[in-house]
Amino acid sequence: MAGPLAPAWTPETTSREESDLDRPWVTVVWDDPVNLMTYVTFVLQELFGYDEPTATQLMLQVHNEGKAIVSSGPRERMEHDTNRLHAYGLWATYQRDA
Amino acid sequence: MKPFRRKGEELVARLVDAEADIVGLLLDQLEQLLAVDPVDSGGDPVMDRLLPRGHATDPEIAADYRDLTEAGLRSGKADDLAMVRATLPPHGGEVRLDADQARAWLRTTNDLRLALGTRLGISADTEPPEPDASDDDADEEGSQLAVYYWLTAVQGSLVDALAAGRGGRR
Repeated sequence: MAGPLAPAWTPETTSREESDLDRPWVTVVWDDPVNLMTYVTFVLQELFGYDEPTATQLMLQVHNEGKAIVSSGPRERMEHDTNRLHAYGLWATYQRDA
Repeated sequence: MKPFRRKGEELVARLVDAEADIVGLLLDQLEQLLAVDPVDSGGDPVMDRLLPRGHATDPEIAADYRDLTEAGLRSGKADDLAMVRATLPPHGGEVRLDADQARAWLRTTNDLRLALGTRLGISADTEPPEPDASDDDADEEGSQLAVYYWLTAVQGSLVDALAAGRGGRR
């Protein structure tokens, strides 16, 4: 179809949209007073396959700083990760990486 | 209660009659809570904690997330609850769990602790009740707090037993 009379347009993707798409989403676990520290560590290992030192470090970050990013990637995957954390009762949300 | 410990591939604990009764009653209450229509339970802090928002600030994303996941979360919790009920000795005795059953117990005892903890307003500073704080007129909140800490011990021993098995240590 690309004859001389065909309209010469390309789909509009601004650089801003592109950078939004490139910017990953993250899953955040928040501190709460009920979940046991050992349980949070266990769940992070169970769901994300982290080794014990990594999971412990993330758990301590949640405990001491109030939250920690536990995974990052496309929105659908963060939705899924949040859902798996909710099934274990952890307080999690997902958002575009700041 | 004899806390959970690993025996080969299984996780084993022992509950006395009264403890099994309490767990049974709590399971009934959780089941009722989960059966309430989402529209009618809006704003209940316990339900907000059992079925949390997916996004902290964006109501549209939070609503999308809820549409996508709430039914599955509820049915997963119901399945876990049924599995705990099926493995709970009705008049006390030994609880013997395989790996899947142990995870159902983990999630369900956590949900019970979340529900009780939210109702009781547990904070990082909350202390376990004195073992002999025996006001004659049984203090309802004090006894719920005792149940909460008892569940904490049950769940804690199960986590430790599972973690020890995974690490291949201890």
